[in-house]
Amino acid sequence: MLRTTLAGLRLHTSRYVTTALAILLGVMFVTGTMVFADTLDSDYESSVMGSATSVDAIAEPEEPDFDPEAGPPPPAVFGEDDLERVRDLDEVADADGRVEGQAVLLDSDGRAFGMTPPAALSLGEVSRFDASEGTLPSGGDEIALATSTADEAGFGTGDTVTVLDPDQEEREFTVTGLVELGIDPSYTMGGAMILDRDTAEEMTGASGYVEIDALAAEGHTDQEAADAIAAVVSGDADVRTGEQFGLDMAQEAGADTAVMRVALLLFAFIAMFVAAIVIYNTFAIVIAQRQREMALLRCVGAKRSQVFGSVLAESTVVGLVSSALGVLAGIGIGMLGARFGSDLSASGAGGPVDLVITPAAVVSGLAVGTVVTVVSALVPALRATRVSPLAALRTSATSAGLDRRTGRLRTAAGLAAFAASAAMVGLSRTGGTSEADMVIVTAAALTAFVGVVVLGPLLVRGVVHVAGLGLRRTGVASMLAVDNSTRNPKRAATAMIALTVGATLITGYSVVSASTESTMNAVFEEQFPVDYQLSPQFAMDEPTGGEPAEEPADEDGDAGAEVPDAETVPESVRSALASAPEIDQVMGQRTDFVENEGSADGPGGPVNLMVNTYTDTDLATDMPSDLVSGDLEDMGPGRATLSEDYADGLTAGDTYTLPTEDGALDLEVAAVTEGTGQIRGVVVDPQDFEQAFPGHTGDDMLYVRGASGADPSELRNAVHDAVDDHPTVQVASMAEMKNQFSQVLDIAFYTIAAMLALAILIAVFGISNTMALSVLERTRESALLRALGLTRAQLRRMLGVEAVLLCLIGALIGITLGVVFGWAGAASVLPDLILTVPFAQIGVFVAIAVVAGLLASIMPARRAARTSITGSLAGE
Amino acid sequence: MSESTVHPQARTQSPPVVVARGLVKTFETGGSQVHALAGVDVDFHRGAFTAIMGPSGSGKSTLMHCLAGLDAPTSGTVHLGRTPITGLRDRDLTLLRRDRIGFIFQSFNLLPMLTAEQNILLPSQIARRSVDRERFEHIVEVVGLRDRLDHLPAKLSGGQQQRVAVARALLNAPEVVYADEPTGNLDSRSGAEVLRFLRDSARDLQQTVVMVTHDPVAASYADRVVFLRDGSVVDEVTEPTAELVSSRLLKLEEA
Repeated sequence: MLRTTLAGLRLHTSRYVTTALAILLGVMFVTGTMVFADTLDSDYESSVMGSATSVDAIAEPEEPDFDPEAGPPPPAVFGEDDLERVRDLDEVADADGRVEGQAVLLDSDGRAFGMTPPAALSLGEVSRFDASEGTLPSGGDEIALATSTADEAGFGTGDTVTVLDPDQEEREFTVTGLVELGIDPSYTMGGAMILDRDTAEEMTGASGYVEIDALAAEGHTDQEAADAIAAVVSGDADVRTGEQFGLDMAQEAGADTAVMRVALLLFAFIAMFVAAIVIYNTFAIVIAQRQREMALLRCVGAKRSQVFGSVLAESTVVGLVSSALGVLAGIGIGMLGARFGSDLSASGAGGPVDLVITPAAVVSGLAVGTVVTVVSALVPALRATRVSPLAALRTSATSAGLDRRTGRLRTAAGLAAFAASAAMVGLSRTGGTSEADMVIVTAAALTAFVGVVVLGPLLVRGVVHVAGLGLRRTGVASMLAVDNSTRNPKRAATAMIALTVGATLITGYSVVSASTESTMNAVFEEQFPVDYQLSPQFAMDEPTGGEPAEEPADEDGDAGAEVPDAETVPESVRSALASAPEIDQVMGQRTDFVENEGSADGPGGPVNLMVNTYTDTDLATDMPSDLVSGDLEDMGPGRATLSEDYADGLTAGDTYTLPTEDGALDLEVAAVTEGTGQIRGVVVDPQDFEQAFPGHTGDDMLYVRGASGADPSELRNAVHDAVDDHPTVQVASMAEMKNQFSQVLDIAFYTIAAMLALAILIAVFGISNTMALSVLERTRESALLRALGLTRAQLRRMLGVEAVLLCLIGALIGITLGVVFGWAGAASVLPDLILTVPFAQIGVFVAIAVVAGLLASIMPARRAARTSITGSLAGE
Repeated sequence: MSESTVHPQARTQSPPVVVARGLVKTFETGGSQVHALAGVDVDFHRGAFTAIMGPSGSGKSTLMHCLAGLDAPTSGTVHLGRTPITGLRDRDLTLLRRDRIGFIFQSFNLLPMLTAEQNILLPSQIARRSVDRERFEHIVEVVGLRDRLDHLPAKLSGGQQQRVAVARALLNAPEVVYADEPTGNLDSRSGAEVLRFLRDSARDLQQTVVMVTHDPVAASYADRVVFLRDGSVVDEVTEPTAELVSSRLLKLEEA
């Protein structure tokens, strides 16, 4: 029996080519993902291990308890005495510590680098880091940069860079080298520079060591050294051997790749699902066509189980061979991915990446491909066993297949699925937004998909009928195509549904993406109607020792304004902005915190109360907000606006008691906001704010609104001129922010589209295969048409129109589902969603569907047009 | 023997519609050459109903395919009217078939997804030709399909299907109709009907009909029977009867 199967396979190899391609692509995705992720894992691991194992023990000070409401704690450090004790240990040959603070680095445009000042550190004599290019700085005018920082800021070895000291004075340094600081996000995201020890302390005001690295003395193991260090350093320090430290870091990095691996496998799953539909359809068609062959086998004595086994054996062989090819292709893709991926990833140590091919990657690819193929072939195999031996004797086994019946049960079930889905969508839209809604929408989408599967044949006929009204007039080729596409609605529906999966997902995501963008833009515009936002570079630590903590104290209020304060926007910037003709309005925001005792008689809200005031601002018109009670028009001295979480049950007209340094301040509540917009915490009148925080006279944030009709580029120049002398002031343009936001969305969209493209490609293969098999079945018809005078071009056009019709139906159903569920999904996450249907993108999808249909018809049409008329007419 | 075919015989006073000269068709099968046609000269006259007969493998189907422009002969010429069809490109052949030739095949004559009427009108639609409704009505009446026009082929009997094919072939008034075993799949009563239509159309509508058959009864409906053996025309009978054809055929098989 197996021999018959294999002989049959050899004879009909061409029937399985596209199926094999579908499996191959799916498996390629699975294996490629595994190889890619494994390789990245090992790449991270080797780079992290390489740097960590260059020292024998690494000690980090005990992390203080982090209290999110108390603000950032001072960084934990080891003192000089800790280092001395470590150095004195018998187990330690040498040790040194890393000093770390922050300093403002100016990029090549002369603006401060990053949203926060980058880390400025000194590496000790003994350190797990070393220069990967050039040398480490050895004097007061030398600096090394983290590789990623150098790339972003546009510097290289030998360049001169400017760093601001704690007094905001500029100092120039020469870049002597680049240091690979690994994948620590505080360095890769925030940036880092390396100075020599004294300069680092001078430039940052930091003291103490954030890490002590040690080399074990001869005759002592790393572990002994680590244990000894742990015993002598202060506090409950975390001391690990270099190797352990490296392993731990690699594991953290692995967690990142795990997320990516899962995400990619999700798309691989979608591709495999589509491939399964294609495989099912191919086997179903092939078995229908080979009905007589099966019947003949039964006639000569094959048992049902043998027929079943033979089909399964066939699918196993097809699955195994295609999966093996898919695994090979996947290894290739994984290699390409790892090469490009490692450039993007933080490790980026350059150099060739060693490809990691785990047995799991190979086995999972083979297993997934084969199992999916065999499972997809199960139903067709069962159908094959039902062929009666008598069928062998019937003359026209394949000319049948004009299956126009669609059962009532099928129609009822399909409509029920759609009704249930619609009900679920309705249910999800009754309330606001919640996670449960998201689940309901997903369930509704799946139910609707079941409906499409069940009603597919009917849908195909319905749509083709409508499309046919116009198409029939355009010529005999189109007329025949319309008729052909409904000849076997089940087959057509299955081919089309494979495409529907991809079309639904991609349209759904594009609707979510477009709606998110327009909703966010509307939110920006409504709640934040300004053009520019200026803020000081936000320091993570207190910038210079001593001063700021006591700054708001008592009477030295004016003194604070004289010293350039790194945390407020300088007054000169504000006056420069206010005097520019292009600028209509400059609003200031001042924010301070007061400690809330949290006692029973204190107001509600968190331990640290945020108090804001806005200067030159009319809250009601400039900062519109969704209100719970009251009216922003009522704001004024002696009044306060609270966000809901601070109000603790208070409503407009009640009295709010604000605890300040000088005692409680009683304010009348003017309004309570929902706290979703710009207005949060306690907002008071500038007059009251000055009374509560007499030292706080600078603006923490400036909002600039251009004069109406001002040229955007002139406005931009005016804003940038105003901050020219203040490199640390960050300028954010709302237009640019919107732009960046939509760029992020676009990148996400294109990534997802690229991932789904494979599923769509597989579906197109499926449609091509369905066409090819149908053409095979209709060889004699094609010959008849040619004999009656249909030209080859007309024959090709006929098949082209049929394939395009199939693709278009699949795409249109997918687009409809995508729009509905994209909307429902987005609406269950985003409140006040503005539904935006990206018609241009959808137009592109439709165009792609047309092109895909034409491509899918190329091979079958060539085959049909080439077939000899007389040969085909002669019979089977 | 072929001498006799060159000279026109009964009912052949009109000029020939189809003229074949020196037709040779050679197939390569596994290194050896098979002569399906070994130099055939034959004429078919306007309004004549000719049957081509011969034992299996005599080359009668190949001859018809070459005459109809479905297949290209290895050498020799075929003229349809004044048009030499040998050597035409595929596209021109296609248009020639579409506009000037009608076909009736043994089976698989109809497209299963088209109704009887759509099948009949198909060649006109392919050619984007307007249909002579009067002729259509007349032909439909003659073949007796009036109440079957909106049926799909699957709902028609074998004889009815074949009558649809005949109606299709005749509708366009082609210069010649080729019928390849048109009654091969039919019971004798249905077969007789189809053959009567072909004969009547030749007589009444001056329709040239060339039919390939191996059935002496079918051949007896023709005006003339041409006998083929081993790719050559070996005999010819005018005003045939089934008995005469049978005995000639028997002689051929024995020879």
